[in-house]
Amino acid sequence: MKKLIQFELRKIFSKRLTQVIFAALLLLSVLLGFSTYQNMYAFDGISNEGTGRTAVEIDKSVAEKYEGALTDEKVQQMMTDFKPTQDLHGMNAAYLYHNAMQSALFRNFSDLDGNWNGLRVSDVFGSEEIKIGYTYGWLKTSENMVRVFIILSLSIIIMTAPVFSGEYGGVDNIILTSKYGRTKCAAAKIIGSILAALIMTATISTINFIYAFMLYGSNGLDCSILFAPAGFVEGYIPFNITCGTLLKYQILLAFTGAVSVTGVTLILSAVCKSQMVALVASAAIYLFPVILPVSETSSLFRIIALLPLYHAQFISLMSVGQMSNGVLYAILAVPVALIFIGIGIAISRRAFAKHQVS
Amino acid sequence: MKLKTIDLTKKFGSKTAVKHLNITLSNGVYGLLGANGAGKTTFMRLLCNIQTPTSGKIVLDGKNIVTLGEKYSELLGYLPQHFGYYPEFTALDFLLYISALKGLSEKNAKKKSKQLLEAVGLSEESRHKIKTFSGGMKQRLGIAQAMLNNPHILILDEPTAGLDPKERVRFRNIISAFAQDRIVILSTHIVSDVEFIAEEIIMMKSGEIIHFGKPQEITSEIDGQVWECTVPTAHAEKCAAAFNTSNLRNTDRGETVLRIIADHPPMENAIPIRPNLEDLYLYYFKGDAEK
Repeated sequence: MKKLIQFELRKIFSKRLTQVIFAALLLLSVLLGFSTYQNMYAFDGISNEGTGRTAVEIDKSVAEKYEGALTDEKVQQMMTDFKPTQDLHGMNAAYLYHNAMQSALFRNFSDLDGNWNGLRVSDVFGSEEIKIGYTYGWLKTSENMVRVFIILSLSIIIMTAPVFSGEYGGVDNIILTSKYGRTKCAAAKIIGSILAALIMTATISTINFIYAFMLYGSNGLDCSILFAPAGFVEGYIPFNITCGTLLKYQILLAFTGAVSVTGVTLILSAVCKSQMVALVASAAIYLFPVILPVSETSSLFRIIALLPLYHAQFISLMSVGQMSNGVLYAILAVPVALIFIGIGIAISRRAFAKHQVS
Repeated sequence: MKLKTIDLTKKFGSKTAVKHLNITLSNGVYGLLGANGAGKTTFMRLLCNIQTPTSGKIVLDGKNIVTLGEKYSELLGYLPQHFGYYPEFTALDFLLYISALKGLSEKNAKKKSKQLLEAVGLSEESRHKIKTFSGGMKQRLGIAQAMLNNPHILILDEPTAGLDPKERVRFRNIISAFAQDRIVILSTHIVSDVEFIAEEIIMMKSGEIIHFGKPQEITSEIDGQVWECTVPTAHAEKCAAAFNTSNLRNTDRGETVLRIIADHPPMENAIPIRPNLEDLYLYYFKGDAEK
């Protein structure tokens, strides 16, 4: 069995297309990370201004001044420090961007002109303790990983679609007449596909993490995502979780997404005679939720958000709700992934074993 | 060991590919002959249990092969007419993979793969990727994979397709040596291949077995219907087109000797000769081949 699994992994990873996809994903991760880093801008409100590395250093030094629990005193201090020095010419101060800390502050505590809006920390965040610090780098990394993970899911579809359907081009004759063709071979294909998906997800996640550590260090992982600069979708997750927790959920959901999408693709791979049909059908099913006219406020969205696409685009799923003990609704992606892969295993094994050579 | 088909039928929609076949195969080499569309490949696939019969069954020593499952597959070796391969695998990798599927131990798989690569003349190319192989080399690799598990039932669909004459001779020798105490069924369009090695011939037409027996026995069916006629070479082509001609041979006297299959003497100078398997094939399948 072990040998058969090794062969299946080899079949998947020896394909030129898989190698190209893998290289493209690595390149995409690095390029997104690098361009984000290079395009960062920060101004400390006094004299220092810059992009790229300088911007990160400015943001970090500004954050260092205020890091710790967010208090009303800190809010007042920051409002004074970041008060606009120029006429905004009618622009809403919430859109004024000098640095990450200022942006997060104005998003929550500023009126249109950049003056304090009168809200206290408890008015905005309730009784939650909000720890602030330099979260910008990791939030940007999380944002980039959403794109990377959606493409990763599509890559897993491309990798998995030929697992069964690729054999229907002629090797099925030989496989199905061999002793373990209908039993261990099918099982090895399934295990190989799941392992390949997990290996890809783990590698891509690790690369993104290592790169982010190199660029931003470990600062801010223990800080709340609620005090995110304007424009961050992560800021719309209405739960006081830390940046580190956010990333843990994101990685978990990348894995559940990979497993779910593997389950769906295995079914279509075993059922469809053509690799291309299996590939297109799997991709269509994966992307289908995008065209569903269901708003996030609809109760139906609680179910739709558990589909594999929303595991990669995890913000929507993360914002659905909080269950007991501070665990988010998104955790339900784990049993959902198990259901997807369970159904995938059962149907694909059966379809392959019953397959009639033509 | 007896492999028996009982009222075996396979339909694809309204077309019946195999019609109520009842045949018993015991140890020996069987040559399966038939024109395209005669149902040979479907029959072989049914024997391999990779297609389900519409009705009827196949039994091995009294047990249904479907019920036997893995036990039957363990006894089976199959070379399909068209088989796929993994372009990035080397010949040795491919055989090792098929060995794993056939349940061979790792040590045995390596030993057997090397032996068979040697036997089919691919030992020097064992580490080459299959995508670099010619059609004949792939076919030889296919033959090797079918024999990995020392099958008791070896089914070969068009095994000599793409092989040059030297390779065909090598193949015939391998099969002859291998066939001892085994059931070997091979289909081919090259009648001479089965004529040399098959002990029994199965002729199929429109999904039915029209002849089953030893080559000499079944060729006797057309005794007195094969003729040799000598005509001037200038008229040979016209004569060949007019009759069911199995061979033309020019002589150094400006004449051509035609081998014609006909119920009655086709010409005045026609001499009756002993029929061979090719004559029998043409007798039954001339029309099918032209279609």
